[in-house]
Amino acid sequence: MRISDYIEVAGSNLWKRKLRTILTTVGVVIGIGALVCMFAFGQGVQRNITDQFNKVDVLNNIVVSPPRQDGRRRLRDSDDPDDSARAAGPVAVADANGATRAKLDARFLEEARKIPGVETVFPELRFPAQIRVGAKERFTLVQVLSADICRSGSMPMRAGRCYDANEPNALMVSETFVHRLGIGGPQDAIGREVEVVTLSLDFGLRSLMRMAFPQEGKMGLPVARSSYRFKIVGVAERMPFGGMSDAYVQPEAADGMRKLAFTNIWDLYQEPGEGANYSSVTVKAKSPADVPAIKKELESRGYNTFTLMDQFDQMRIGFLIMDMFLLAVGMIGITVASLGIVNTMVMSILERYREIGIMKAVGATDGDVQRIFLFESGAIGLLGGMFGLALAGSVAFVINEVINAIMVRQHAPRMAYFSFPWWLCLGAILFSVLVSLLAGLYPTGRAARVDPVVALRHD
Amino acid sequence: MSDDGFIETAGLSKVYAFGEVEVAALRDVTLSIPRGRLVGITGASGSGKSTLMNLLGGLDTPSAGTIRVDGRLISDLNKRELALYRRDTIGMIFQSFNLVGAYTALENVAFPLLFAGVAKKRRRERAAEILKAVGLEGRMHHRPTELSGGEQQRVAIARALVNEPRILLADEPTGNLDSKTSRQIMEILADLNRSRGLTLIMISHEQALLREFSNEVISLQDGAVVTREALR
Repeated sequence: MRISDYIEVAGSNLWKRKLRTILTTVGVVIGIGALVCMFAFGQGVQRNITDQFNKVDVLNNIVVSPPRQDGRRRLRDSDDPDDSARAAGPVAVADANGATRAKLDARFLEEARKIPGVETVFPELRFPAQIRVGAKERFTLVQVLSADICRSGSMPMRAGRCYDANEPNALMVSETFVHRLGIGGPQDAIGREVEVVTLSLDFGLRSLMRMAFPQEGKMGLPVARSSYRFKIVGVAERMPFGGMSDAYVQPEAADGMRKLAFTNIWDLYQEPGEGANYSSVTVKAKSPADVPAIKKELESRGYNTFTLMDQFDQMRIGFLIMDMFLLAVGMIGITVASLGIVNTMVMSILERYREIGIMKAVGATDGDVQRIFLFESGAIGLLGGMFGLALAGSVAFVINEVINAIMVRQHAPRMAYFSFPWWLCLGAILFSVLVSLLAGLYPTGRAARVDPVVALRHD
Repeated sequence: MSDDGFIETAGLSKVYAFGEVEVAALRDVTLSIPRGRLVGITGASGSGKSTLMNLLGGLDTPSAGTIRVDGRLISDLNKRELALYRRDTIGMIFQSFNLVGAYTALENVAFPLLFAGVAKKRRRERAAEILKAVGLEGRMHHRPTELSGGEQQRVAIARALVNEPRILLADEPTGNLDSKTSRQIMEILADLNRSRGLTLIMISHEQALLREFSNEVISLQDGAVVTREALR
């Protein structure tokens, strides 16, 4: 028999028993609809969460910190040839005890940029500064923070917004700092011009003279003051990142400022010429897929790393459990629907017992007979899968509208709570056909084994 | 292979087991039927006529003995080979017509061609040709319930012929028909035997009619051949 014949015969047989075909198919439609709805909801939730992470790009970030001071994470023994090679590299420096210690310095930035998959590397840097608004002047640590980190959502804003990468003179401050400056409320701070005065080491002649001959009680350190103008664009709700800083500028702005860069007291002891050490450095991968390899590479060089990706992996296990649960619930419908198919096929075969005998008498093989009936149950599955998908889409649409109507009233953003990726749509239809074929196996197997002599005598 | 032994059975037996009890429906039947003959089979009910027919038609397999058709050992074929043998070599006609009720006359006649893998258009052409040959060109699109008994049997004959078999097996083809229609059907079958050279084996209770058309009549009793009567 030709495939087209199987399809035609199955189609015409199903059409002849419309009511039964429709009822059986509706069972499959509901089963597949429920399953797909469950799955689409699970996918929607996961997609929304993943999108939040991806939108702000933080999944690409690896925060690198130096090994602990007690040397617990120092490089492995240098009798390992690989490690000794690395130890001789530019980023590992032998400290006073002779143990090697990985450092976060300018050379690290350079080295890290060379790791495959790295898009950019920027240090987390804090520097002391006086911030002046009108007559008031307050001392604080200014943190260098890139615009995309701010937009990652880790800085809830009380007023204003995160700065954009293209506005180098924008400044963000914390709400507490606004109070310290006595500006008034957070809203009043937005758009205010401020002066940021930094200190830097100055080994010029005048400053050295002043150090040698302190006058009128003024500080004798070789320090110079530089002043820069900024405009406040955002006020953060609280002090993020451990609450150590009250003001934030972009890396591009910070690069152009003369400043004393230090992150902890040890930095003051570093040897001249070694360059600045950073308390932490953010390594940004080109894509989340590159993160694990980069992380591994950095760790092999002796650094501590932290990635949201790790947290995200934990979450994915949660997703998987949720999927499994939804799947289990959805499978109930499918099981019931497949029993409906078994029933329908058994009935159909009993009704057409004699017809099966005729088929065999005129030369149908057992395989022909089984395939004719399998095409019928497969067709029920195909129709059920397609309409089930349509049902799931419709139900999802309605539920989505209802949830959004409620959520928008509570000032939550409009979202799609269901997701129908192409593999889910295709998979649902294939699954439906597969389940129907499996359900048809027993009854069609019986049809194939019908004894024509008995069937032809059958009334 | 000579024409003398176109269909040959040797020691053909069929035993049905009903639980512990075994019933011999056919015992040690040895027959030789030449090509192109019209052979009538008669006997009381339960004499094994239908069993013999089912074995010759490849619908059933013997408990013992052999069947050869044109030298080919039919009794050794597997299920699939038997299906193909039924499809290509045999045309069967039944007392109760055995038409598919949901199909039109044309669809019923075209049905066997489906399993022969013939394209749809060709199936319909071929079925229409044969229906025309049995005088049903005006009834092609009627379902069996809309046809008289004689018409139904003619549809069944057309269906049996559609794959151009070499052997026609007719099991009481006139059993459900009145005497006038019975004669018409007999005439059609006898004509097929003569004009197409089909070997025709026919079971019938109607001794007179059977004797009128057959070359030979075989009588069965309790599953065994009791007489073979050559008529012409």
